[in-house]
Amino acid sequence: MAARVGIVGIGHTVFGNLSEYDLADIMAYAATDALKDAGFLDRRKEIDQVLVANMASGMLCHQSAVASALVSRMDMEPVPAELVENGPASGASAVKLGYMAVASGLADLTLVVGGEVMRRVTGWNATDIVATMLDTDTEYNMGLTLPGFGGMFTRLYMEKYGMEERDLALLAVKNHDNGFKNTYAHIRAKCTIEAIADGPEAAVVNNYVAEPLRMYSTCPVSDGGAALLLVNMDAPIAKEFPKKPIRIAAVASATDTHCVHNRKDPLELNAVRIAAEKAYKMAGIGPEDIDFAELHDAFSILELAISEEVGFFERGKSYLAARKGETAIDGTLPINTSGGLKSKGHPVGCTGVSQVVELVRQLRGEAEEGRQVKDPKYGMSVNFGGFGNNVASVICAKD
Amino acid sequence: MIDFSMYDVKAPQIDAWKCDSCGTIFYPVPMVCSGCGVRRDPVTNKGWSTFELSGPCTLLTWTRVWNLPEGYNKKFLQFGIVEFENGLRASGRVEVDEPRTGMALTATVEESDERPGDPVNVFVFK
Repeated sequence: MAARVGIVGIGHTVFGNLSEYDLADIMAYAATDALKDAGFLDRRKEIDQVLVANMASGMLCHQSAVASALVSRMDMEPVPAELVENGPASGASAVKLGYMAVASGLADLTLVVGGEVMRRVTGWNATDIVATMLDTDTEYNMGLTLPGFGGMFTRLYMEKYGMEERDLALLAVKNHDNGFKNTYAHIRAKCTIEAIADGPEAAVVNNYVAEPLRMYSTCPVSDGGAALLLVNMDAPIAKEFPKKPIRIAAVASATDTHCVHNRKDPLELNAVRIAAEKAYKMAGIGPEDIDFAELHDAFSILELAISEEVGFFERGKSYLAARKGETAIDGTLPINTSGGLKSKGHPVGCTGVSQVVELVRQLRGEAEEGRQVKDPKYGMSVNFGGFGNNVASVICAKD
Repeated sequence: MIDFSMYDVKAPQIDAWKCDSCGTIFYPVPMVCSGCGVRRDPVTNKGWSTFELSGPCTLLTWTRVWNLPEGYNKKFLQFGIVEFENGLRASGRVEVDEPRTGMALTATVEESDERPGDPVNVFVFK
């Protein structure tokens, strides 16, 4: 019988341009925040395992073996520490492996830390580095990038389901509203539909990035860190924390073809659907039980497509629900209460950990005024790696 | 159009692969055939054959990218996914003025030296 796993500490740096700071310092700041939250900073050497989520520090910061740097920076030696790399889904994968370490009985306490510094290189260079996750010969070498695939996916969706560019702008308005209230968000600024879609200057303010995707439908390039302390809820030590654990009800992941062109239906995100199905089965619930969700909107179209694949809406109907405000903070199913990747930001390897921090904040009732979901019981995150070729999902529950 | 027959150089080409055991075709080539499970030896490629992937194709979707990565000194590039008559699909560049989903294109191959390192062959759908 696997042990129940809960989260007893969370930490998060502000997201944004932190390029003047060292990656290990950023991660250590978030990690010490999580330990302080858990009242465990002075006992940090009792932690059984540290897992670090990072995608590309070797290329972005010319720094490798960052798990070793982190434990040393935190004076945590000899605690075991390893790096988890799964592209932009590194964060949720680290949560999943942390869960497995605790549930298996190998560790009672696991510290999961995500971190990325992307803005030390130019935007051109960051775009190139992120594109290395694509298939080398058939995608990267062609000059393709992640926004390029986002644009092609958006066009397919628009042509099949009749969605308009304005619908994506509505998502940006919603997510910036949420991010504006989030202490940790990269872009804490509201935007109006007039400014980015309806007004005379909208095409300039909200220019094309990868047609039909515009700037306000694309996440920023961010730096930041986030951390979680996982505990075996069935072990005696679970009673030693000041805050009641938020239970991890499910962790699940799945893969899809590395080359996007090899998918039978390029609009289907099979890895998202399968990861969600596995997560629901593990949690013993269905999509109707989820009270709010953090979905990987690196491009706004993904918030819609993922929300359909995980069963919140029928295919091709999510943008209609968003038009009606159903996914707003006061809607029936709030999505990206943190501001999402669009407003909160997207330090690639860190994002999955950050999403789970948001699940815990909401489930504890600790979100800022104006973006707290009313008495949620289940929150779900979907962390999207590659262009959907490696996806991990986490469901957290307030018991 | 350059007449490569005049020179001792080969026109750029991108190959697709066929598993000789079951006839399944691939682009790019896998290590294990999804049709019959046979493993490819990456040194000899015995039991596998190649054929040029080019010619008529249909545009499935496309985009015009304005924030190109380092090395691409262009205002924008267009990219698309196409389907060939044999059912294989590929991603590459699109060089037509007004791309439309579903339009008939011809796949050509050109050499690209925009990024550092050795030049690479890229699809250009025209």
